[in-house]
Amino acid sequence: MTRIVLENVSHRYAQAQADTLTGVNMEVPAGQAHALLGSSGSGKTTLLNVLSGLEAPSGGRVLFDGRDVSRIPPRSRNVSQVFQFPVLYESLTVVENLEFPLKVRRVPGPERRRRAVAIAERLSVADLLGAKPAALSLFEKQLVAIGRALVRPEISVVLLDEPLTAVEPATKWQLRRVLKSVQAELGATMIYVTHDQTEALTFAESISVLHEGGILQTGSAETLFNRPSHEHVAHFIGSPGMNLLRGEITDGAYRIAGQAVAPASGLAAGPCTVGFRPEWAVAVRRAGNPQAHGLPARVTALRLLGTRHGQPVGVVTAQLGGAQISLRQVLDVEPGEEVLVQIQGERVIGFRDGWRLSTGAGPSGRGASYPSA
Amino acid sequence: MLPVVLVVAFSAVIPLMTVVNYSLQDIFDPETPLFVGFEWYRETLRDPRFMAALVRQLGFSAAVLAIEVPLGILIARSLPREGRLAPVFLVVIAVPLLIPWNVVGTIWQIFARPDIGLLGASIAKLGLEFNYTSSVVDAWITLLLMDVWHWTSLVALLVYAGLASIQAPYYQAAELDGASRWQVFRYVELPRLRSVLVIAVLLRLMDSFMIYTEPFVLTGGGPGNATTFLSQHLTIMAVGQFDLGPAAAFSVLYFLLIVLMCWLFYSSVMREDEQ
Amino acid sequence: MRRPRHWLLYGYCLYLLLPLYWLLNMALRSNSDIVSRLEVIPANPTVANFAEIFTNPVWYQAFANSLSYVVLNTIISLVVALPAAYTFSRYRFLGDKHLFFWLLTNRMAPPAVFLLPFFQLYSAIGLFDTPLAVALAHCLFTVPLAVWILEGFMSAVPTSLDEMARIDGHRLAYFFFRILLPMIRGGIGVTVFFCFMFSWVELLLARTLTASSAKPIVVVMTRTVSASGLDWGVLAAAGVLTILPGLAVVWFVRRHLAKGFAMGRV
Repeated sequence: MTRIVLENVSHRYAQAQADTLTGVNMEVPAGQAHALLGSSGSGKTTLLNVLSGLEAPSGGRVLFDGRDVSRIPPRSRNVSQVFQFPVLYESLTVVENLEFPLKVRRVPGPERRRRAVAIAERLSVADLLGAKPAALSLFEKQLVAIGRALVRPEISVVLLDEPLTAVEPATKWQLRRVLKSVQAELGATMIYVTHDQTEALTFAESISVLHEGGILQTGSAETLFNRPSHEHVAHFIGSPGMNLLRGEITDGAYRIAGQAVAPASGLAAGPCTVGFRPEWAVAVRRAGNPQAHGLPARVTALRLLGTRHGQPVGVVTAQLGGAQISLRQVLDVEPGEEVLVQIQGERVIGFRDGWRLSTGAGPSGRGASYPSA
Repeated sequence: MLPVVLVVAFSAVIPLMTVVNYSLQDIFDPETPLFVGFEWYRETLRDPRFMAALVRQLGFSAAVLAIEVPLGILIARSLPREGRLAPVFLVVIAVPLLIPWNVVGTIWQIFARPDIGLLGASIAKLGLEFNYTSSVVDAWITLLLMDVWHWTSLVALLVYAGLASIQAPYYQAAELDGASRWQVFRYVELPRLRSVLVIAVLLRLMDSFMIYTEPFVLTGGGPGNATTFLSQHLTIMAVGQFDLGPAAAFSVLYFLLIVLMCWLFYSSVMREDEQ
Repeated sequence: MRRPRHWLLYGYCLYLLLPLYWLLNMALRSNSDIVSRLEVIPANPTVANFAEIFTNPVWYQAFANSLSYVVLNTIISLVVALPAAYTFSRYRFLGDKHLFFWLLTNRMAPPAVFLLPFFQLYSAIGLFDTPLAVALAHCLFTVPLAVWILEGFMSAVPTSLDEMARIDGHRLAYFFFRILLPMIRGGIGVTVFFCFMFSWVELLLARTLTASSAKPIVVVMTRTVSASGLDWGVLAAAGVLTILPGLAVVWFVRRHLAKGFAMGRV
């Protein structure tokens, strides 16, 4: 398995008006389960094609274990890919499908058979070896496709393009588990592209968030959740995502509508975006609570998610000033009530021009997309 | 539904019944039909001219299929899928299919003549003897050239449509596997083309078996009867002589033969699918 | 990714276009000129042959006859096939698959088989030597094809639309003409293409069922061939003119051509 590095990769399709990828820097250590998270149109497919070699980047380099492979064709890169729907050779049996990549490289018969059977057993499809794809369910077919991607020993990286899309909904979680366990066991470098954050957050050790052709942040699920470096990451991750309100930094504090909510020492004064996750704030009813402090708001809706210690918990949607916010808490307020929103000040994150504000000398602007804490 | 049944009945059933009717009778003159059972059928099957026409027909159809199907596939694979030139190529390829068949015959009649035709004259310039009216081999060559010119496009267009239904990931996966050009054809394209090829082969088989106009215009069935195939033989019998009985029997046999061939081909392909 | 084999494609196109060019070449030269020398590019091109066709009633009447039965055939085929296709598409009835197959077998019948019966039939009902006779005779072959194609397109339209229209209170006729037909416009186009393709090019039946007044162009051309004193120039000009309608049809549907072929049926 290989260490993959993308160095300042950009790409523009012929006849296109603008770059599809701009200055992408990405590093995936060998054997890592890495996810590429982005909505449609963010450039995910192009990035995959650059990694597999189906497209040669217009700028920058692609390095496999330090070797520049930017111009090397796909067949010589030892890359394999699992697609959105199971892509199998319809006229060959399952075992012939599995052996195909080896047969092409002239691996002798007995060795081919051994590897094919081994991977089939690992993926629990060994009893389907003699069947044709038409007889298999979508889930089974995708398992075979994964097997075909892993069958060659010299594979550098396995690319996965939203592999759960076409399988039956009831089997999606099963497929996810199989992928994760196979990846861990074989130590395969896997790059998993998706628009679904649950898939990304549960599969990967490290996630790169792709937006409009550039990588905003790369980090673990915990990092992306607690310390997002860009508004888009903050809002995209989490269900619901981070609340982002217009505010300002004045006199060393973050302020929303003039009221201080968090300390902001060492940061330049001026307008900014104040962000806090629904999990980091709570709304308390105003009536009958004269000592309470917080930002005034009005509850607009409740959504029940379950109970904790016998109490209903869920998402409270409220109108604060001109913005709508979400809060995850015990549902002890009613729609229409006036409430006060209390935010955990030490967790608040400020953004300016989209990027996170941080104290210290390090740059926190564009282009710093190497894995950051 | 009713209009359809009426029209088709009018166009088909009644005439067909008439034909079958005639085939079982001996008609010396229009007033006195005489029932003779299967006499005409037996006579037809023993007729050496019928057998000769049948053999020629089989040879022609076999040659036609052997050339047009592979060539059609090759052309379809080299047609561009997108780009400004794609529609232009499609139009050029489709043109021979829309020319009245006698014009096709006329075009080649002129084209292959050594005196006024470009092809004929070019061959003559090379010092070779070429005359499709007197030489049997030359007649057959010209006929085949003409039919390939005329109908390969049908195969090509059908296969092209079939190929267009293959989504990109299949090609991408094969590329990543490192498959060769031939392996891509055999494992990605050919399985998808099966149903299309069945249709194409059936159509060409049927139509080549029924061919009449083009060889008639080009060679008139000659030299001698070297290029007289089944349809023409039937026409001579039915129109030239007034032997309605044998002609009718021949018609029925002809029709049944085609249906039989199609059914054989179709079911052998279907049986393969079930395995 | 796939590298098209340019030489094969261009070679094939050359193979297709060369005889056509030669025909044009002949059409632009006088008969005496043709017979005397072979010229790859005509030295003295003339439009006299085309003029002959446009002025001689034998020729232009023949063109009119051909066009009329082709148009008649297309209209009849469509009118008959549309309801039938609808029935096949929407209803399951006893023996429907067999009826469908029987319709298709008509396509397998050699036209030569029908020479005799048609001749007698149409003479008997007095339709002999009219464009209508040829149009109807061609229906034997074009109607099954039309039903086949249209059924495929109609089946792609979900039956929920039928139900919605009925719930909205519309009669079947309304649904059929205002909703269904516009949706299968592409299918109708493909059908028209195939009807035209078959009817315009067919010779045997067209010849058998006509004599003097409804003589189509295909017959006039072949008669010209068998007569003595062959005028290659006029013949070639007529040939060129017969190719033009086909060329026009293909040019206009060129974008739909590949898409129409690929839909459903193939």
